[in-house]
Formats: sequence, structure tokens, C-alpha cells
Amino acid sequence: MRRIIDNDYLTMAVRLAVGVVFVSASVYKIIDPGSFARSIWYYHLMPGSLINLIALVLPWVELLAGLALIFGVLYRGAIVWVNVMTIAFIGALTLAVARGLDIDCGCFKAADDIDGSALQPLILDGALLLLIMQLWFSRSRRWMCSRK
Amino acid sequence: MALRQTIYILVIASALGLGLNLVSPNRLDFIGNWRDLHDGDGPILPPDVEPGDAPFIAVDVAQLDFNARAALFVDARAPDEFECGTIRGAINIPFEYLPEGDLEPYFDSVLSHLSKDERIIIFCSGEECDVSLHLARNLQALAYTDVAIFFGGSREWERFHLPIERRRQCDE
Repeated sequence: MRRIIDNDYLTMAVRLAVGVVFVSASVYKIIDPGSFARSIWYYHLMPGSLINLIALVLPWVELLAGLALIFGVLYRGAIVWVNVMTIAFIGALTLAVARGLDIDCGCFKAADDIDGSALQPLILDGALLLLIMQLWFSRSRRWMCSRK
Repeated sequence: MALRQTIYILVIASALGLGLNLVSPNRLDFIGNWRDLHDGDGPILPPDVEPGDAPFIAVDVAQLDFNARAALFVDARAPDEFECGTIRGAINIPFEYLPEGDLEPYFDSVLSHLSKDERIIIFCSGEECDVSLHLARNLQALAYTDVAIFFGGSREWERFHLPIERRRQCDE
């Protein structure tokens, strides 16, 4: 098991997959932070005064963490961030489903462009979390710009 | 090590996000003015009401019109959501499935039994959905003069145990 987790090719593939997911998820939010702010508001989990700050900073954290995973820079920090963000997304989506909110998840597209199902992103986030766990435990450091 | 890197990423992201926002065409105020969750008094409002928007009505006003049969209730959600449960007697005009192009013939056909000054109350699921707002803006643009939005939607209607019509059983 340890050898599989530490496999260089597997780790590189997972880094690419998770990195691309986070980079692509950040793009619309960076281009249109207003729509992303509205998506956050729909969850009714954040104080109204903090929503814009989160909408402005979080997409850049996603972008930087995704790029850091792909290129192997600030690698441990990037893993912490993708972990924290994925767990937070799962928590927020679960609460939304539990409260019966007919919500646009705001994961990859602007709030007005997707249907209201929160279950599909929940499943995707669960799969993403499994991949991130592989990165968390893998000791592979090949094909990285920085070994730290 | 991990903690320090985590902070580096946050600092760089904050500098980029907040800094570029200052020169962005889609600039946001740093401190948002988003309304907190509805407290139960008065009509529920969306976060971004524009001047000229149709009036927003509370559940008691919607109920008065419902009991008096003084308005046509229009559910702006997708047909499958409409079938799962809607205000009794409502018709479905799914905003996200409207035809392309000029909407006037479509609305005139769907609302052919109404004159343009009769009361129409539009709703969707609840305060997290805004298709009712968009549908109302479209109808107002086509000179429907007595349009109102019940933004609490089918969820608030159901919360008050008001009559619901289900065309099929759906998993919640």
C-alpha cells in the first residue's frame, strides 16, 4: 500500500488532476467575482459584510494552490489549502442540502448558469478529497520545482 | 513548513485579489452589503433589487390574492420542479427554458386568457433562486402592468401550510 501511495507517476497524475480542477474552478470566479459573491450569499453561511472579501480572495487561493500543486512549489501549503477548501465546500453543500436550499453550487460556473442540484458537486468533492488524501500521504517529490 | 507556506499562499492571493479588484471593470466593494437570512417579517427581498422592479409581496399578501382568486400565480422554475410541488392553481412559465428571440408571442400565447393589466404573481423555490425576478422583468418589459413577485416562493408557501399541488411524487 505504501509503495502505491508513494508512486511517482500516481502522485504526479493526482497533482495534475487536482491542480487542474482548482485552476479551472478559479477562472470564472476571478473574471466575475460579483456572480461568485452571489453564489456565496445563497448559502447563507457567511456574514453579508464578509462575502465580497471572500469572493475576491478565495478564487486566487484556488488558482495559486492549483498551480503550486502542478509545479511543485509551496507544495505542503498547497495541499493544506486544497484540503481545507474541499472540506469547507463539502460542509457548505451538505448544509445546503440538509436545509433544503435549491442552490447553485457556484463551483465552476456563474450562479445563473447551472441547475440547482447540489448532490453532483458533493459527489465530485468527495472524490476530490480522496485524491487529496493521496497527495497528503505520498512521500514522492519527483518532478517538482521545489522539494520543500 | 506547511503553515508558513499556507500563509504565503494566502498573502499572495489576498494581494492579487484585492489589488487587481481596484483596477477591474467588475470591481466589488471590499465590504459587501448583502442582506442576511430573512428574519420572517415582511416580504422577502432579493439581494439586488433594481429601481423599477415589480413589488415584492409577503406570504400573507400572496395568500389574500390566492384566496380572493385575484391573481394568476406563475411558477418560474423548471417543469420537473413545478411538477414536484407548486402553489395550487399556478401555471408554469420556466424562465430558463424560454424560447430564443422575441418573447412577446410566447407570453401572449401562454397568458392569452389574461389582459395585460391583470394581476400576475411570480414565484420560484425561495430566496436563493432568482428566476422569478428575471421573469417579472421580462413581463414588465412587455407591458404587463400588474406584476408582483412572491420571493418567499413555494418553500415559504409550504412552511405556512398553504395549498400545494403535486403532479408527481418526488424525492426531497
